[in-house]
Amino acid sequence: MAVGKYTSDLERGDVLGPVEYTLSPFVVREYCHAVELHQDFFQGTKDPIMPPTLIHLDKLRLYRHACPLGTGPHARVHVEYDATFHDTVRVGDRLRVGGTVSDRYEKRGRDYVHIDMELRRVSDNTLLVSYRDTVILSYKGATA
Amino acid sequence: MMAASLKVGSELRSAPREMTRERMRWYVDAQPTVAADNGRIQTQEPTIHDDDDYARKQGLPGIIADGMISTNWIMGLLLDTFGPDFARKGKLRTKYIAPIYEDQVVISCARVTAVEKVDGATAYRLEVWSEDDTAKKLTVGEAIAYVRAHDPEKCPPVFGQDHAQG
Repeated sequence: MAVGKYTSDLERGDVLGPVEYTLSPFVVREYCHAVELHQDFFQGTKDPIMPPTLIHLDKLRLYRHACPLGTGPHARVHVEYDATFHDTVRVGDRLRVGGTVSDRYEKRGRDYVHIDMELRRVSDNTLLVSYRDTVILSYKGATA
Repeated sequence: MMAASLKVGSELRSAPREMTRERMRWYVDAQPTVAADNGRIQTQEPTIHDDDDYARKQGLPGIIADGMISTNWIMGLLLDTFGPDFARKGKLRTKYIAPIYEDQVVISCARVTAVEKVDGATAYRLEVWSEDDTAKKLTVGEAIAYVRAHDPEKCPPVFGQDHAQG
């Protein structure tokens, strides 16, 4: 197990989280403003919903929880976002997110890592979003 | 384009957007701001998305956009077409096949590859991508959007059949 250190140390089988939090309107509005999702159901209603892309920042939430020392010596580069949306996530929902490092392998001198995550509503354990995140964990430049 | 008019081969395209330095930084700042969730904007240590010197030290020619920006712009195109149903139930996969540099023009695109009925909804399968102003693909992927039957404008007849309600 490599949790408790840097994200660049993560190994296959490492479990990240779970972490619970309540989705706030500030988070949804701030995120949607940053990525220019200006639809009313995110920013113009008293009952906003979560853009499913926001689960990517839950990965950072898990990193902070599991890898408190930070990224490590090299930048981390996101390669692929792969999410399935199962049900609406609403502002005010109490949520639980957890993840597992499902694979780590080297390809052309770069370390690729898959993290499989699930976002669930705490009140009834409903699966809301499932997500596979793929990163190059220790990006060392084009010539590395 | 409304979902009701979509058929296999229909193509959606966003207006072109320049990937400005500010757009890259907005996403960088959003990350610690969301994490803190205290009503104030937060910033973070230099990244390859907002600091040229740091990016060069990582072997890049300059800052590049976080891939999630193009993913969100593609999602925006689909939300504008399918409405909140796409955030309720669906799928989106995006793979970043080329870096997006400062001021590069980005156009979000989708093409319908299949339309089928699934559990009382209409499922639209789409190829999605973003490209620059030379048609070079930057991000590629796929999506599935489910439109529920209760909205006849968004849920058209499929393959010439009357669409079942309920």
